[in-house]
Amino acid sequence: MKIAVGQGSCGIAAGSMKVYNELEKFLEDKSSLTITGCIGMCFLEPVVDIYDDEDKLHRLVKVKPEDCELIARAVKENNFSLIENITISREDEEFLEKQTRIALRNCGKINPEIIDDYIKNGGYEAIKKVLAGMSPEDVIEEIKVSGLAGRGGAGFPTWFKWNAARNSKGEEKYLICNADEGDPGAFMDRAIIESDPHTLIEGMLIGAYAIGAKECIVYVRAEYPLAIIRLENAIKQAEEKGFIGKNILGTDFTCTFRIKAGAGAFVCGEETALIESLEGERGMPRLKPPFPAEAGYWLKPSNINNVETFANVAWIILNSGEKFSTMGTENSKGTKVFALTGKIRRGGLVEIPMGKTLRDVIFDIGGGIKNNGKFKAVQLGGPSGGCIPEEYLDTVIDYKELSATGAIMGSGGMVVMDENTCMVNMAKFFLDFTTKESCGKCVHCRIGTKRMYEILERIVSGNGKEGDIELLEELCMGIKDGALCGLGQTAPNPVLTTIKYFRDEYVAHITDKRCPAKECTALLKYTINEDKCVGCSLCSKKCPVNAISGEIKKHFTIDTEKCIKCGQCQSVCRFGAVEIN
Amino acid sequence: MEKIKLIIDGKEIEAEKGTTILRCAKDNGIEIPTLCYHENVALYGACGICTVEAEGMPKLLRACSQKVQEGMVIHTDSERVKKSRKIALELLMSDHTGDCLGPCRLNCPAGTDCQGYIKLIAEGKFREAVELIKEKLPLPASIGRVCPHPCETACRRQMVEEPISIAYLKAFAADKDLEENTFLPEIGGNTGKKVAIIGGGPAGLTAAYFLRIKGHSVTIFDAMPQMGGMLRYGIPEYRLPKKVLDKEIALIESLGIEMKNNVKIGKDISFGQLRNDFDAVVVAIGAWNSLSVRCKGDNLDGVMGGIDFLQKVALKENIEIGKKVAVVGGGNTAMDAARTARRLGAEEVYVIYRRTKNEMPAEEIEIEEAEEEGIIFKFLTNPDEITGNNGKVNGIKLQVMELGEPDSSGRRSPVAVEGKFENIEVDSVIMAIGQKVNVAGFEDIELNSKGIISADERTFRTNIENVFAVGDATNRGASIAIAAIGEAEKASKVIDGYLLGMEIPYRKPFVSEKEVTPEMFAEKEKLPRAKMPVRSVEERIKSFDEVNLGFREEDAVREASRCLECGCHDYKECKLIEYANWYDIHPERFKGEKNVHETERKLVSIERNNEKCILCSLCVRTCDEVVKKGILGLVGRGFRTTIKPEFEGNEILNFCKECGKCAEVCPTGALKIL
Amino acid sequence: MSNCNCPKSDLTLLEDVLGKYKNIPGSLITILQKAQEIYGYLPTDVIYHIAKETNTTPAKVLGVATFYTQFRFKPVGKYLIMLCQGTACHVNGSEMIEKTIKEELGISDGETTDDGLFTLKNVACLGCCSLSPVMMINEETYGSLTPEKVRKILSELKEAE
Repeated sequence: MKIAVGQGSCGIAAGSMKVYNELEKFLEDKSSLTITGCIGMCFLEPVVDIYDDEDKLHRLVKVKPEDCELIARAVKENNFSLIENITISREDEEFLEKQTRIALRNCGKINPEIIDDYIKNGGYEAIKKVLAGMSPEDVIEEIKVSGLAGRGGAGFPTWFKWNAARNSKGEEKYLICNADEGDPGAFMDRAIIESDPHTLIEGMLIGAYAIGAKECIVYVRAEYPLAIIRLENAIKQAEEKGFIGKNILGTDFTCTFRIKAGAGAFVCGEETALIESLEGERGMPRLKPPFPAEAGYWLKPSNINNVETFANVAWIILNSGEKFSTMGTENSKGTKVFALTGKIRRGGLVEIPMGKTLRDVIFDIGGGIKNNGKFKAVQLGGPSGGCIPEEYLDTVIDYKELSATGAIMGSGGMVVMDENTCMVNMAKFFLDFTTKESCGKCVHCRIGTKRMYEILERIVSGNGKEGDIELLEELCMGIKDGALCGLGQTAPNPVLTTIKYFRDEYVAHITDKRCPAKECTALLKYTINEDKCVGCSLCSKKCPVNAISGEIKKHFTIDTEKCIKCGQCQSVCRFGAVEIN
Repeated sequence: MEKIKLIIDGKEIEAEKGTTILRCAKDNGIEIPTLCYHENVALYGACGICTVEAEGMPKLLRACSQKVQEGMVIHTDSERVKKSRKIALELLMSDHTGDCLGPCRLNCPAGTDCQGYIKLIAEGKFREAVELIKEKLPLPASIGRVCPHPCETACRRQMVEEPISIAYLKAFAADKDLEENTFLPEIGGNTGKKVAIIGGGPAGLTAAYFLRIKGHSVTIFDAMPQMGGMLRYGIPEYRLPKKVLDKEIALIESLGIEMKNNVKIGKDISFGQLRNDFDAVVVAIGAWNSLSVRCKGDNLDGVMGGIDFLQKVALKENIEIGKKVAVVGGGNTAMDAARTARRLGAEEVYVIYRRTKNEMPAEEIEIEEAEEEGIIFKFLTNPDEITGNNGKVNGIKLQVMELGEPDSSGRRSPVAVEGKFENIEVDSVIMAIGQKVNVAGFEDIELNSKGIISADERTFRTNIENVFAVGDATNRGASIAIAAIGEAEKASKVIDGYLLGMEIPYRKPFVSEKEVTPEMFAEKEKLPRAKMPVRSVEERIKSFDEVNLGFREEDAVREASRCLECGCHDYKECKLIEYANWYDIHPERFKGEKNVHETERKLVSIERNNEKCILCSLCVRTCDEVVKKGILGLVGRGFRTTIKPEFEGNEILNFCKECGKCAEVCPTGALKIL
Repeated sequence: MSNCNCPKSDLTLLEDVLGKYKNIPGSLITILQKAQEIYGYLPTDVIYHIAKETNTTPAKVLGVATFYTQFRFKPVGKYLIMLCQGTACHVNGSEMIEKTIKEELGISDGETTDDGLFTLKNVACLGCCSLSPVMMINEETYGSLTPEKVRKILSELKEAE
């Protein structure tokens, strides 16, 4: 019997720590209680997995502390029908069944704090295999065959970078993991580190061996404290077991690890900015060339990959690059993890082979829109990506195909939007983000994104002018051409894609002073429907600016001049009489 | 070193491997603009101005960092490159706050560097001041006396108390210069080209001056007995003594300009003849005919035009005006006529004006002095009929007016009060309500709908191949002398180009301008404007002696030091504004929030104005890498990034070498060595 | 610090940190993070001290510190509310949550209540997107927020004082 409580950050935020504590109180055999990482079914958190004596899994979902006494009884009596109401439904099980998990293969299955759990599941076999008889060139060749490409966003072939770093002259080389997962809406890297830190370590060891690095650095963003703790712990355990340090597994291969915590700057996800930050400087991107493979960290040859990329490496070594390459499309091999969020019924982490469609992910796995809403768009790639409308839902998940829509694969954030989401406001949201996160070095990003934001701001507040769309487009092209780094060059994407697919919505804001999604407050008009109003006066009492007047039992009206559009009248009206136009 | 071949802007180039595109282009005489690159410090790549296009590469390349590659085909000036640079500059300018030029210079139709010469006057460098003035204006002693000085109208010092007395300071410096060691410009080598200038007024003299400096041979033809045009025949002696004008004209003549008077085109010489004899002809004939208020009796004996009247006086012709004179009009000519009439012995001089004092186009000082001299203003009246006896004026019937709705120019237009009239007895009536152009003799030149010579506003060309036209005779008609001078100076550049076979139309340069409010000057110490000492009224009305007595040197210097120095010290060297003018930018498209900073002097010998900073970081990098001090640092990030020396108290003294290297590398005027 | 008008922090608290990191190149951010753990924010004299000890200038240290959002230059309230600005939170109504906090506490992003109890800080995506909208108060994460829920959480914290 094993009872594992999912303790990723989301699980904890949903209350899994309290559930754990309660279970510890009620369970007789406390040694059977353990933790695990994030299974990725965020919409069902807190999740408790019970493996019974026949090793059959009973997955309990949305567990509340008050359920724990009953759970303990069910365990004791080996009678799981007692807790059937909190056992996962058949339908929800499909969320996992329809996935193919490589990078996430251990997430939610093993205890991330115990190295032996990882080893039991085939952990550190890949590095053993590498050190037992593969040359660095063999490793690079295997990765080349696999077709693995950078999962951080750009989709650059991993072997190519490794090869370039390997061929760069220099004794001192560095392997760096970019765990500065900054795209709002993406959290797979966090989940991997929190749930399966050794997978990252093993992947990095193999990479270090391939390029000839003796030092590995993981740059983790400051907002992920739990990930840092778990990774520190994992490094310590790996050192104790001899997987990290001098003469690893009795070979000549020596490699140390350290963690560097970021301090809050999205731009540090850009590799040269990350290097600046590692050197203790302001995280401002460097000019390329030279590329990090030639002159990176302390101007030494350096290779940088993101967490998910490394998480695939051990699997490829053990299962062959060829097997990995059988999954996916011509241009994009293997699997990709998506963080499915927004107005989605079943949100969480989804790993699927490349080549599936967006529709597969959103409707088949994610179950479609929350509260039976209507799908409007899906945002891919965060601030560097774009919004894709319904007519492109059958786009195949593939670096090239997704780029053709104007969005990008990105790191895998997939935010689903329904009809209540205003696309102009969405573009503004991302530009707000980019403006705040711009490092300020290059003109195009520092001032250009600010100007884009200002234009969007005036559009959503009803002050848009004829010609604003064209001005935005011109600015977008200028920024794409002129910005120094990837952050700046891709910053216009959210604007360009929303203009491309939702131009009507822009026009409605500018010309008709109307927000079709009814989201932009400045453009809303609150009125009371005479037929529905019973004259209860509740709205008038609630109105903070006394904009509503009328006689009891007759109908009330809103003075639109006074109205500040706070929406309180609508939320208190029990008759649905307050309408927004 | 390995050599490679590439093509830049169609030019085949051999370069050393490892050279950057920027370097390589520079070595081959192709200038790629950049604001953040400097050879003494490491590459940075912030400005994005140096981008170039390489065939077969989807992205633009930063020329400062991109190394040349074998077979590269680079375009440094393609449409895409220009567009990209233009946007970069527009964005930079949209967060750049500062005045390239002071409002005085911007508002001067001739663009004289007021701030520049005021500063030189403040430093006691009068000759240098005149030298600077004469880069735009060859008649400073005359113009300084008569100009209605739009510079002063714009002067920001009035937000503190009163504007700088720019015009009189100019006259002061020019008078000083005329006394001894007079400045004369250098004349360029003889070009062999001949230019005829028709009209020896301010426009003609100016065109002659600048074309002569360029080495062309210049002849001025003028219909009057002496050169000077309206300055001589339209402005009374008491405002501009002809001695002064004579001296300035003599200086211009001394440059080797031929001056022919009493030549009337179409009578003494034909226009066609001139066009054949000269490589270029400049028509600067002014506007010499008076307009008349059309009313009953306007043909009576004793009714005359303002310009005609002043001209006759200047020519010392005998004119009978009687004891009571009515002058119709509210402009400077009306004031000149009224005050001249007074000096000629008229006892009652009336100024008839349709609107009120507030609307009068004449200068305030002119009105004030006229009032002092006893001129009687009949505001809100308009001649209805000039009455006479035996064909001779004996009175004027005035229609009483009131102000109605504002017209398109914002001025309230006068409306007759029905049935309300006033009669005054007068002996003569002077109509000073405007001038028109007399184009007799120039029949081939195309006129506009108002009967004025039509000249292109950027090339100053007329419809005739080698004929240019400037000044009062063109386009919008009569204006002030300095406007005619400005046109003539601009035209001289175009004509010089034309004579050398080039077409270089005038283009108004882009400049950065700062919006200011009086609150910004609240802390400034109030220093009253120097008052021009004047002759007493009694003395004045008895003679034509100059009213103004001129500044004393110490007063002039003190007055000049009141200047707020609004314009940027770095205008001439500023790379930002230079490039801005290469690409014809329109930053107002991206108008938005600007960063606001106080000017600070923490760096002891350097003044830092972060509102002008474009964050190229050259100062920071120079202080770090060249001086090895690291005093300056970037602070904050994104749009809010600034550059600061972050030190407390006197700490900075221990660090800053005051070497000024940071200011030297600054591409804009953000850093200033004190 | 000769004539510096800054707070008098106990600089001895930094000895261990500086001893450990000051000679390791590239450790400035780490030193600043540790300093903030010690002092709760980065007082001016601490920045000066770090500059001196690491052989650089205050301009450089401040340049780095002001680049990263993690660093603070003023003390924060007892409860640091970090409101997630991620996309999922935005789509699920984080603007309403921010408005509610502003109404309840009268503070905007980066401000602290007069009683020194609460500081509001908008932060980049906390990565708990499935629970959006999300905020963290000190170490605790609160998910699936509604205006009512926020009001309840805040009033409970206030009452506990």
